[in-house]
Amino acid sequence: MTMTPRERVMTALHRGEPDQIPWMENDIEEALQYEIMGRTDFTPPELCEKLGLSAFGAHYPTGEVSDGQGMVTKETYKESYYNPKKVTFDFFPPWIAKMGTDPATGRTYIEKGLLTSEDSLALFDEFLPDPHNPARYEKIAQWIKQYKGDYAVFARIRLGAASTLESMGLEEFSYAQMDNPELIQKVMGRFAEWSAAVVDHLNEMDFDFFWANDDLAGNHGPFMSPKVFRELMLPSMKIVADRIKKPWIFHSDGNLFPIMEDLLSLGMTAVHPIQPCAMDMGKMKQEYGGRVGIVGNIDLDYTLPLGTIDEVDAEVRKRIMTAGPGGGYIVSSANSLTDYCKLENVLAMSKAIKKYGKYPLDGGETNV
Amino acid sequence: MSNLLAEIQEAVINGQAPKVKELTQAGLDAGQTPQEILNEGLIPAMKIVGEKFQKGEFYISEMMISARAMYAGLNLVKPLLIAQKTESKGKAIVGTVQGDLHDIGKNLVCMMMEGGGYEVIDLGVNITSEQFLEAVKEHSPDFVMMSALLTTTMESMAKVIQVLADNGLRDKVLIGIGGAPVTQRFADSIGADFYASDAGEAVSKANSLLLER
Repeated sequence: MTMTPRERVMTALHRGEPDQIPWMENDIEEALQYEIMGRTDFTPPELCEKLGLSAFGAHYPTGEVSDGQGMVTKETYKESYYNPKKVTFDFFPPWIAKMGTDPATGRTYIEKGLLTSEDSLALFDEFLPDPHNPARYEKIAQWIKQYKGDYAVFARIRLGAASTLESMGLEEFSYAQMDNPELIQKVMGRFAEWSAAVVDHLNEMDFDFFWANDDLAGNHGPFMSPKVFRELMLPSMKIVADRIKKPWIFHSDGNLFPIMEDLLSLGMTAVHPIQPCAMDMGKMKQEYGGRVGIVGNIDLDYTLPLGTIDEVDAEVRKRIMTAGPGGGYIVSSANSLTDYCKLENVLAMSKAIKKYGKYPLDGGETNV
Repeated sequence: MSNLLAEIQEAVINGQAPKVKELTQAGLDAGQTPQEILNEGLIPAMKIVGEKFQKGEFYISEMMISARAMYAGLNLVKPLLIAQKTESKGKAIVGTVQGDLHDIGKNLVCMMMEGGGYEVIDLGVNITSEQFLEAVKEHSPDFVMMSALLTTTMESMAKVIQVLADNGLRDKVLIGIGGAPVTQRFADSIGADFYASDAGEAVSKANSLLLER
């Protein structure tokens, strides 16, 4: 029996075998969305239909011009958080940081984290929006109702780790481990408290799952030792995780193997994005595939931005044959679809997932 | 090796900046030369830190904490070495290439290279090929080290190499590259002299190349 896109996603998230391996992306940069659609006035389901995606969330160029992902700390942040003008499904706290702008591209970036002392904790009151203000929830509930149809819809949140690392800065975060570990706990605690309050509201909405973006690792491993992660970060992340009443995906780039057991104690439904340069998919599937769903693993360092369509096809096939057997796998890029991915490669990825992803998996022999 | 130098090493590895400062000062007061403290205390300690990172025993935070402790000693011996006109092992200019604003990897390379006994000129982030060229002309370094985190900005590394070649300076420097998406294959394809997968390896490869030169 043919499943709906939502049924496919929910089945695979829960480690089941759908009729067809689904595809979804944590984010698609708006310049690439525009390139794919050729216009900005499309709806999220129109983009899903064009590519064959089974879920949507994140943000879209549809609507008035606004502050993009709303991550920038500035005077207008709270207002743009409460009343988003463009279609979005994100519920991120702001970075509490001095932001810079690259004059060449206009992109903003974090110049310096501002949470570096006990006194600086007062900045939380200045920057964090009221998590109980109803405006954003009401607006986004309307968009879900308007666009959902047969697709799965996700809200992006954070558990506090990425917010802490970026708002303290990695150097200050590192030094605080020696000088003032309590500061890390306090910063984690404040971000977690905010996200937990947000999650209480999101639980009541018609989202199908949450996607928690908490980058905390590089190619070698987590930025901090497993001991520091366990003692100073995990307890706050657990506060948010325990409040979640929907399926959810944990996202962090980098090599998560050294802290995988700690992470799994948070009780997520699936893990994303299993970067090929940092984690081996075969090992992930074999050692953890029986306990958690797997999302991701299509290379963003070479294959999608620089590779050929044949290389994209071969990689999608390989991933599906490695992670797909028995279910529990959702194809996705190994982070997000950035605006430097080749359009032809994104389209080739779409084609290859349909070609190789039908269960029972046979490497595309019946679909070629 | 004296007990004091062993203690400096241990304090650097443990990331104890105030202790390193105290021990370094005590060493200088007791007649240890700044060269001994640098070459037998601080540099070998950071070498061990780099090795521990490569073996997965240390993580980036610990490397940064150790680097801060190393600087606590280095900041005391450096003025003395300069006053004695002691030449550093070599000179490196380091920067994140144009279009890329990431600095963690670049900063770690700077820290580890300084901890490896090199003079480091940190150009910062978003550095154009012309800025690299000017820095090479101004400082006559042994190494040009470039970092990139984005696939799209990796190509800027090739541009820097080309600009140095166009100005007759390519053969005057050894070029090293690194960053999350960078690979040995990519380094070979653009004609870099070496690739390092982390900051500790950048130092060990720089050391080897300097010996071969």
